[in-house]
Amino acid sequence: MFFHIVLERNMQLHPRHFGRDLRDKLVSKLMKDVEGTCSGRHGFIVAITGIESVGKGLIRDGTGFVTFPVKYQCVVFRPFKGEIVEAVVTMVNKMGFFAEAGPVQIFVSNHLIPDDMEFQSGDVPNYTTSDGSVKIQKESEVRLKIIGTRVDATEIFCIGTIKDDFLGVISDPGANP
Amino acid sequence: MSVVADSPPHSSSSDDFATLLEAELDAISDASADPEEVAEGEDGGGDGDEDDCELNFKSVKRRKVELSDDIIETPSSSSQGELAKTSGLSLEKIMCPHPGVYAGMCMRCGQKMDDESGVAFGYIHKNLRLANDEIARVRDKDLKKLLGQRKLYLVLDLDHTLLNSARLLDITVEEGYLHGQGDALPDSLKRSLYRLNWMQMMTKLRPFVHTFLKEASKMFEMYIYTMGERPYALEMAKLLDPGDIYFNSKVIAQGDCTKRHQKGLDVVLGQESAVLILDDTEAVWGKHKENLILMERYHFFSASCKQFGFNCKSLSELRSDESETDGALASVLKSLQRIHSLFFDPMPILSGAQG
Repeated sequence: MFFHIVLERNMQLHPRHFGRDLRDKLVSKLMKDVEGTCSGRHGFIVAITGIESVGKGLIRDGTGFVTFPVKYQCVVFRPFKGEIVEAVVTMVNKMGFFAEAGPVQIFVSNHLIPDDMEFQSGDVPNYTTSDGSVKIQKESEVRLKIIGTRVDATEIFCIGTIKDDFLGVISDPGANP
Repeated sequence: MSVVADSPPHSSSSDDFATLLEAELDAISDASADPEEVAEGEDGGGDGDEDDCELNFKSVKRRKVELSDDIIETPSSSSQGELAKTSGLSLEKIMCPHPGVYAGMCMRCGQKMDDESGVAFGYIHKNLRLANDEIARVRDKDLKKLLGQRKLYLVLDLDHTLLNSARLLDITVEEGYLHGQGDALPDSLKRSLYRLNWMQMMTKLRPFVHTFLKEASKMFEMYIYTMGERPYALEMAKLLDPGDIYFNSKVIAQGDCTKRHQKGLDVVLGQESAVLILDDTEAVWGKHKENLILMERYHFFSASCKQFGFNCKSLSELRSDESETDGALASVLKSLQRIHSLFFDPMPILSGAQG
């Protein structure tokens, strides 16, 4: 789920950046440091939408670096257990398939794929129903439910299922429009 | 089903059976609502109508799974026993066999699991572990499917079996012509000699290897198993299999071995009795020598010859190569084809001799 929240961060700036463009340099450093990172509590920081305030700079003892507390607004993405997300399949093998919903990797094991779908190996490994009507392969879009999340230092891993009602393939890659 | 069947408390039975029932009911859960709900579902469905009962049971289970999702996150519950005591939990969660762990979570119920049992399958995905029961189940299921397709398993080594690699530093002066680009290289090398600048290595694929892989893939499901490191293994797999058809999720490297300096079939998701191994080194396959077909080593670069103590000129220095049609890969392919046909079309035993 996406959230638009205000976060705070202490940014350190080297004295060579002091000057007319100090604030711009601070903002660009913030964006470089923070966009694309992941924190356990908030999830992935997708984009910074604005700077709320920049506090007074404090010179650190012993070095010339100055620390500014910056409050900024940003869009974050965090998956939750029980959430329904749409994801794109990236890898299919006999243990299940991996899908990506933005920066989050979700693993759907073969235990949580409906029993009538069998794994077919070959040029394009896929899961297909016995009558061939539904196929899950690389680049398919699927709707799945997240049943567990685990946060690492830099990544979030999830386990998902498509064994419930209304879950499964949304669209096939290369299907006729 | 047995738990549910035990639930009607007013069935007339002996004292022993009654105490057994009570012990069972106490042990499983304190959620007295669950067996009653299910019992109602069963009665409502009609006695003879098993399908309805099962449907009711399933829909009840589904509701309970959704209800209990919120409760699972409690960090204190780390074992199945503790889970059972938390109220409102469904039977499904309690009986989950935890077939495998992905990134610290059970693949089937999502519960956090930190134990290190089972085998790690880092080559499928770096955070994946599977329990021994699950591995056995997958192996059985996979074997049936493959036998239906008339295929067996083939594990291939990389170095000196399918290709020969050498570091750029070790290329001798006489091999200097190999550095040539475009037309400077003879035709035969253009498609089989590769330079990997980011690894500072040169690789020469063994003659006949593409045909070998194509023919073998019709008879076998193939794995790559090398003692090299993962980035090297994946790069070689890309050279041998640019379409990622043969070795998708089947490249096993040094880091996946469960025992140091030893290769084992425990990380291969195939029944051991149906696996053939092609390798130039016997010593690493301690426990599986019977599955091994020993291959003649492929020495193209002089560094490789020297490594094994041969003081003669290497194939690259002689500007020649192993024969395509007569080489080791071609003859091994013939052997594999014979083995395959012996397995799937065994010769009928001539019983005319008796009587």
